[in-house]
Amino acid sequence: MRTGSWNDRNAYWLFPSAAVFVILLMMVFPLIYTIYNSFTDWSLTSGYGASWIGFRNYIEIFTNDERFWGSVWRTFYFTVLAMIFEVVLGVLIAVLFDAKDFRGKRVVRSIFLMAMMATPVAIAMVWMLIFEPTAGILNYMIRATGMQSILDAVGIGKILWITDGATVIPSLVLVDIWEWTPLISLIVIAGLATLSREPYESAMVDGANSFQIFFRITLPMIAPTIGVAALLRLVDCLKTFDIIYTMTMGGPGYSSETLNIYTYQTSFQYFNFGYASALLVVFFALVLGVSLIVTYLRRGLEN
Amino acid sequence: MARVELKNIEKVYEGGVKAVHGANVTIEDQEFVVFVGPSGCGKSTTLRMVAGLEDISSGDLYIDGERVNDLPPKDRNIAMVFQNYALYPHMTVYENMAFGLRIRKLPDAEIDSRVRAAAKILSIEMLLDRKPKALSGGQRQRVAVGRAIVRNPKVFLFDEPLSNLDAKLRVQMRTEIAKLHHRLKATMIYVTHDQVEAMTMGDKIVVMKDGLIHQIGSPLLLYDHPANKFVAGFIGSPPMNFLEGVIDAGTPLRVSGEGFSFAAAPEHREALLPHVGKKISIGIRPEHMLIAPRDQQDNVINAHITVIEELGAEAHIYMSRAIDDTENLIARVDQRHGYKMDDAVKITPEASAVRYFDGETGKALLGVIGPIRMSSRRQAE
Repeated sequence: MRTGSWNDRNAYWLFPSAAVFVILLMMVFPLIYTIYNSFTDWSLTSGYGASWIGFRNYIEIFTNDERFWGSVWRTFYFTVLAMIFEVVLGVLIAVLFDAKDFRGKRVVRSIFLMAMMATPVAIAMVWMLIFEPTAGILNYMIRATGMQSILDAVGIGKILWITDGATVIPSLVLVDIWEWTPLISLIVIAGLATLSREPYESAMVDGANSFQIFFRITLPMIAPTIGVAALLRLVDCLKTFDIIYTMTMGGPGYSSETLNIYTYQTSFQYFNFGYASALLVVFFALVLGVSLIVTYLRRGLEN
Repeated sequence: MARVELKNIEKVYEGGVKAVHGANVTIEDQEFVVFVGPSGCGKSTTLRMVAGLEDISSGDLYIDGERVNDLPPKDRNIAMVFQNYALYPHMTVYENMAFGLRIRKLPDAEIDSRVRAAAKILSIEMLLDRKPKALSGGQRQRVAVGRAIVRNPKVFLFDEPLSNLDAKLRVQMRTEIAKLHHRLKATMIYVTHDQVEAMTMGDKIVVMKDGLIHQIGSPLLLYDHPANKFVAGFIGSPPMNFLEGVIDAGTPLRVSGEGFSFAAAPEHREALLPHVGKKISIGIRPEHMLIAPRDQQDNVINAHITVIEELGAEAHIYMSRAIDDTENLIARVDQRHGYKMDDAVKITPEASAVRYFDGETGKALLGVIGPIRMSSRRQAE
């Protein structure tokens, strides 16, 4: 066999090799290494090296770690709340943008999308100022509009936003909605733009009013697009870290500690890398599982 | 069923573009009217105004004697079939057809019987459970028609419904829609850019161009007596031949131009007399371009053959006039013509069938006169 022909036949391996190398190095290796670590008791504070402990970390997580279950609950609380508002608002805004032509539509749309482009830490800082119970603009507005007296009357009193365990997650959700609703809108606007006008006109001639057209024609036709947007947000919501860590670090107490924050604290506050690795594996399985379920449901809806 | 009247209907778009100029058309009950014209002529806009999908800028629209200008589409009791079918992609064929009835809150049993009856008429009963994406173009168009039928509307509107189908299917659907019209005895308005569709389907044809109605009439009236040069050229396939020339005084009147001269028919004399000496367009249908004996000197147009299309029952002979190679003429002749490419040929027009148009305005010079006679010579050939 001549070298030339061997080269010709196998040269195509050369081109993806760089990408394959990076993926192996940056994704596959860390994953395998994390899974390996999850079976050890590696801890920087223990004073001795890592040793293989089998499933002990996992048993601990599922049987004896209340903080874990609390963080799982908060992760889903945060995700479900954020998803509902982001999808409903995002779709409504997209439909409004699509339905109406007005001067400066493109400019308004660009401005509208800017929230998404801002740095999460900057967003967090701004919202901390907004939420500040005494000097923040949100409570100022509540006072200025006379809402405070109503709140006082029903016994709620001053809202403490992120400094109160009861309101911290809804407050964080508010920030997430503010930041990420535009993404849903953007994707849905794109989806709407690809729809043909004719089915609408046909529905108008068939006798449908605007509500019927929206719920029975528009919504089903953009459902696959909404599904894609929602799936993207779902995965991101489950993994939300930046705004929570910057604004509350999981506090007050553990009341905004989601799974991602808990895992981070376990690694880099307590340096229990073995245990944190096990948490990460569980977390990974959780995100993967939820995504698969959603994808499966979506496929079922389409057919 | 209903009569539709368009009175001075105009459409002016924002920015002042006038898409339809004062359209006056009366569509009788149970009539099949075809709006035809080149793209951008305003025919679809007119139809969409009837449907209520476009606002009427001025004028009045009556359906069954009621002025409906300000009624939304859903209250006009019309059904429309769109060019791209406009099926609801997420619904089955059955639900697509039932949608309009469900919106109107008809009882389920009634919906079921109407959908099944319509499906039977269109032979799509076996497709009822399918989604539109699993259908072929022809099947989709049937569903779109079915959706219109189940509504049992006063007026059916068709917006170029066949232009996305292949040629064979188009011909088939053409006859099916014609049959459907006969069966339903409904008022139908049909828009197309295809003059063959217009000729074969319409009881009445409305020819439009640049937002203006050029002529309204039965297919044969339009074919035999086009109101102007545009209609003459647009209706008919292969198209009418045009020559530029003048009318010379004398008895009989003679029509001449570069390289040709022939006697006008005696019955045209009166109509042509006022135009003696003026520039005119002479229109001759391909079937009225008769091949003259090779030795004939008078009443001939000299040409040479560039292409011969043999169609079996007849042949289309494409010719260039001897004096310049740019002007193309077409003759539709018997298949036993005996000519071949590059042959010189002498054409004599069927004088009584020749049409004359004003050289500047394009207006027909002859009034509407009796049917075109065929000379004995043509029949003998």
